[in-house]
Amino acid sequence: MTYDLVVIGAGPAGMSAAIKAAKAGAHVAIIDENPVSGGKLLGQLYHEPDSGWWVGRNIAREMIAKASSLGVAIFRKMEIWGIFPKWNIMLNNGERLTTEHVLIATGAAEKAIPVEGWTKPGVMAIGAAQTLTNFHRVKPGKKVVIIGVDPLSLSVAQELKMAGVEVAGIYPPPATEVSSDKSNPKQIIQGLSAMAHLAPNALLKAAGKAANHPTIKNIAAKCYPSFGVKVWGIPLHLRKTITAIEGEKQVEQVRITAIDGNGNQKNGRTKTMGVDCVCISGGLYPLSELAEAAGCDFVYIEELGGHVPLHSPELETTKDGIYVAGNITGIEGAKVAMAQGELAGTAISSRLGLLQKGSDAISEAQVKVQDARANAVITFQQHIESGREKLAQCWHTNVQTSSGKG
Amino acid sequence: MRITEHPVLGKLEKKPVTFSFNGKKYEAQAGESIAAALLANDIRILRYTEKHGTPRGIYCGIGHCYECRVMVNGERNFRACITPVKQDMQILSQHGEIL
Amino acid sequence: MDKRTEICRCEEVKLGEILNAINNGAKTSKALKLATRAGMGICQGRTCQPVLEQIISYYTNQNIQETPGLSTNHPVRPLSLEELAGNRKDL
Ligand SMILES: Cc1cc2nc3c(=O)[nH]c(=O)nc-3n(C[C@H](O)[C@H](O)[C@H](O)COP(=O)(O)OP(=O)(O)OC[C@H]3O[C@@H](n4cnc5c(N)ncnc54)[C@H](O)[C@@H]3O)c2cc1C
Ligand code: FES
Ligand code: FES
Repeated sequence: MTYDLVVIGAGPAGMSAAIKAAKAGAHVAIIDENPVSGGKLLGQLYHEPDSGWWVGRNIAREMIAKASSLGVAIFRKMEIWGIFPKWNIMLNNGERLTTEHVLIATGAAEKAIPVEGWTKPGVMAIGAAQTLTNFHRVKPGKKVVIIGVDPLSLSVAQELKMAGVEVAGIYPPPATEVSSDKSNPKQIIQGLSAMAHLAPNALLKAAGKAANHPTIKNIAAKCYPSFGVKVWGIPLHLRKTITAIEGEKQVEQVRITAIDGNGNQKNGRTKTMGVDCVCISGGLYPLSELAEAAGCDFVYIEELGGHVPLHSPELETTKDGIYVAGNITGIEGAKVAMAQGELAGTAISSRLGLLQKGSDAISEAQVKVQDARANAVITFQQHIESGREKLAQCWHTNVQTSSGKG
Repeated sequence: MRITEHPVLGKLEKKPVTFSFNGKKYEAQAGESIAAALLANDIRILRYTEKHGTPRGIYCGIGHCYECRVMVNGERNFRACITPVKQDMQILSQHGEIL
Repeated sequence: MDKRTEICRCEEVKLGEILNAINNGAKTSKALKLATRAGMGICQGRTCQPVLEQIISYYTNQNIQETPGLSTNHPVRPLSLEELAGNRKDL
């Protein structure tokens, strides 16, 4: 089959792009490996200061209805395993879709934090707990601890509690070669205060506020009580860490030990606590394997979450006709992903000759992305703006050198 | 393990189906993933690894990590976290070889 | 981290094995893959790759951007011939 646009990933970015382009008259296909479209939206649930509860699954449902009514071909339960020139999109059932325009909107994956015993059943990434609780409505455990103190883990902690799960504590990961800043109480406090100011979630907000208080900021890391501070009834620990997860076949208990203000373990003494589930929150990184296999150029920008495909202000990569939108371009919330999807959908429609005032529409869509970013209530990366600037700079340099060559 | 009442999402609508896991019958909610259905029945161990035979369960929950592979109706390697459970499905935990 | 901590879940590779490989000269994720199979499992490194990059960066004193970590090739997902031939039943 041939389409004007093939979108890979039916999260908020991909869906918004598909809707935008289909509205303009494009023949669009959208593919996702999940049985239900919506991507990470499906698990999201939080209270927004102005508009009330953000129930991701409902927003996903509306987008699916809209896309279907516009004639978008929705492929579910199909993995894309490759993109070949120019452009053939390979599905794992042997099918192949042909198109001039591809949007890769594959979102993000979670960064792991290896902890002794983390392969035991009952240990899961924080996103799994979120999806189980809010989408499937199954408790990830009866008594849960969370490793990793960040905006996502605090949000999910509250969501778990709301669903009636006992959250026995949130702990920083043990300091190791891979987790240094995530294990350092000072840096955790600094990060929270930078990211939590507009937080939609009471727990996150409380933590952010506390962390922002000048006295607390200065002394918190040092004097943080060893028994933790209860936020929303959930013990948030900064002076203890989990060094091992134990159990014969599956999780039965965690081993806890005290740490100092820099995250170093104080003495060898440990105690244990019985739990049946451990959630690990190590942050998110852009899932960009398809762009990479397709030969797009990459840059590593820490502020955006890792390796991202180099892309233009219109979201086109260094490969002609391949666009990116959403978390693959850097880790941000759902509303930014939607605005980016609309931008990509607009840019592609314009290229297809479907828009009368294409460049005006593109500029408008770019402004909307900036607005969404400025008004974001949830931030995952501390210096996202500067990350975006770095990327723009890289693109600029790239254009100059390649036009110099030609 | 089911969340039947939720302060924001409301009451859970019951749509029961039955399936089997390693030969035993269980109840699930129509449309939910195999992994969710098993966890709702307090089952966490989905497979045993190739090399050392250690047990594994859900890890990423969204199809990225392939830790949750199970055998469904005689075929191997379905990711339990993104494969919906259906009436009369026969599910087995996997041991050994990958493909 | 304890040397027995598993780093690559798919291939069941422990930190100790990775450090041995680094000491024997594997300084990129590609070399590490060849030496230990870490990152070569069925998830194709989606779970362990960022950790491997951090470990290499830490033990070799290179910034991550300098370690040519990315080495994804087609296919980016595991494929079975059954599936490709369209023989897999839709459940
Ligand atoms: C665990 C977790 C929790 C989050 N919680 C929040 C939150 O509470 N609030 C918030 O605003 N943001 C949250 N985010 C950020 C979230 O990523 C964005 O909100 C938004 O969902 C990103 O949209 P996207 O369209 O870029 O990607 P996604 O929503 O991730 O969608 C990408 C889709 O692509 C599919 N896909 C990927 N590769 C392939 C392939 N090869 N073949 C077929 N399909 C593929 C995936 O299965 C997925 O459905 C969270 C992210 C994660 C990972
Ligand atoms: S739990 Fe990771 S793929 Fe299913
Ligand atoms: S965890 Fe290493 S390849 Fe999957």
